[in-house]
Amino acid sequence: MQAEAFLREIESALELPAGSLTGNEQLADIPEWDSLAVISFIALVDEKLGLAVDGEALANAGTVGDLLALVHEKLAA
Amino acid sequence: MTAPGDSATAPFNPMSLAGRRVLVTGASSGIGRATAQLLAKLGAHVIATGRDADRLAATIETLDGDGHESAAFDLSTIDAIPPFVQKLAGEGGALAGIAHCAGIQIGKPVRVTDQAFMDQIFRVNVESGIALARGLRQRGVAAPGAGLVLLSSVSALVGQASNVVYCASKGAVLAATKALAVELMRDGIRVNAVLPALVETEMAERFRATMTETQWQGYVAQYPMGIGRPEDIANAVGFLLSDASRWINGIGLVVDGGVLAG
Repeated sequence: MQAEAFLREIESALELPAGSLTGNEQLADIPEWDSLAVISFIALVDEKLGLAVDGEALANAGTVGDLLALVHEKLAA
Repeated sequence: MTAPGDSATAPFNPMSLAGRRVLVTGASSGIGRATAQLLAKLGAHVIATGRDADRLAATIETLDGDGHESAAFDLSTIDAIPPFVQKLAGEGGALAGIAHCAGIQIGKPVRVTDQAFMDQIFRVNVESGIALARGLRQRGVAAPGAGLVLLSSVSALVGQASNVVYCASKGAVLAATKALAVELMRDGIRVNAVLPALVETEMAERFRATMTETQWQGYVAQYPMGIGRPEDIANAVGFLLSDASRWINGIGLVVDGGVLAG
């Protein structure tokens, strides 16, 4: 999957308008990024990329770009 | 082959399954593997099933006694389950029980729940058990005193955020257990469920890996006796398959280290 396509998946999971995320956003500034969104993200990564997100790394993610970095090995350049 | 109390030398064991053929699903790992191991210790002839033949062979190697079998099978092919069960009985003799330990848990908030996800969870967790009941009650399949044990969960009784589909599926298993117990009484088959809370399995390890250590410690703090071991659940399954539970039918046996008590 391309990083761009994965951003669209994150938007869908967070119920954000398509195209609203670029990667630079601070997660703390996104009201939709709540505890259930975190679980949605974990399920999304498992289902679409076959990857188990590491809990500590996820807790340390500050931006949407950090989320992409967690799964970079599975994203096409 | 000895039945409980037959031998003057063997100690009396009301949970003995000596000489009985029992099918164990999900036998490759976790609760299913621990159940296969316990039933073998109780003298049962185990037929271990799961999708992966190599992993089943690894389980068989850990079982006490000889003559255990593995039968790789995909339980998501629901209509193929009754013929599969009939074939096992036809080839090796009637089944004294089925321990249905296969199941899946995937946490998803309702906001990302769709039909494909619901179908997947219900097929594996609910439909497979009903199809196994259909399989067991076919003519010539069940030995006298046969039992079916389904794995429900405390999630059937307590709601959990991000777990609505799993909770609903395990609630459905509990309801199916009661309906099947009533319907299969005329066939001489008892049907009961075990409701575990969190147990140390590969499934639980994946759940833990998605949390921080602090989050995990907070979760485990809800367990006054710590989280369970697979053999804690296996012991309950073994009891419900044995003659020690001859007069127990249609129940959901909670095995949760006291979580629901408080």
